[in-house]
Amino acid sequence: MDVCKRSLETVRHSRMLGLEVLSAEEEGVRLRLPWREDLVGNPDTGVLHGGAVFALMDHAGGMANSCRLYPAVEITPTIDLRIDHLHAPTPGKAVICDATCYRLSAHVTFVRMTAWEEGDEQGEPVATGQATYTRMKLDRSGRVAS
Amino acid sequence: MSDTLKALVQACRAGEADYQDLIDRVPYARFLGIQVLAQGEELTFILPRNENNLGNPTLPALHGGAVAGFMEQAAIIFILLQMGEPRVPKTIDFTIDYLRAGLYQDTFAECRVTRLGRRIANVHISAWQKNREEPITIARAHFLLSDENA
Repeated sequence: MDVCKRSLETVRHSRMLGLEVLSAEEEGVRLRLPWREDLVGNPDTGVLHGGAVFALMDHAGGMANSCRLYPAVEITPTIDLRIDHLHAPTPGKAVICDATCYRLSAHVTFVRMTAWEEGDEQGEPVATGQATYTRMKLDRSGRVAS
Repeated sequence: MSDTLKALVQACRAGEADYQDLIDRVPYARFLGIQVLAQGEELTFILPRNENNLGNPTLPALHGGAVAGFMEQAAIIFILLQMGEPRVPKTIDFTIDYLRAGLYQDTFAECRVTRLGRRIANVHISAWQKNREEPITIARAHFLLSDENA
């Protein structure tokens, strides 16, 4: 959990978005994206931009990999990510995202994400995601092993 | 949906308003710092090098989410300009393939509407840094255009 919080702090764009780690376990992670005026995608409705929710999911997925791999440390660049926007999140409400790495193969990880409005974590998701990431093992000096 | 948006889109089409005005209406587009270059009817979207969009601090590399958001917004503007009754399209799904690391450089994107239906648009988006033949990411997205049954 602490490692995840610290790692998020080093990712400038995620810090700019105001992302926050709520929990981080081997089975999965939970992150929060605040509703903020400068993250709005449709100025007529005040709904958050899909890109901000996408960034939340991508980051949550990467962190789910790290938690699954822990205590080993690898970097896991995204191969692909698909997001489905099931319905628009209510303006003014934060979005919560759970991500789980459900399969760790030798070279690839498979991750699912689900996002809800804050306070409605048992209700209808606002978005779901599905992604693959490639595993890059690090050597002792922290460089990518060939 | 607002009449001001419709008026702005029409003014852009007529060459009486800057495309940038359309982008700057969107808070998140300003957050990322998106710009647009119009050459005739061809639009190239630009995500200028900006440290706020960095993901990996050591490489340094752009955050995948920033690049994705940039491409999604590019597609939204691109469709808006083609709609008879412009209203902000809603993203149904967005699928991205990362082909190369996004370096700490300017990033460019272009869109191709594969099909613009009455209710749904299918768009392909490609983003590059060095040259457009070597994309860093490609994406495919569907947008809902009409509010009926939304």
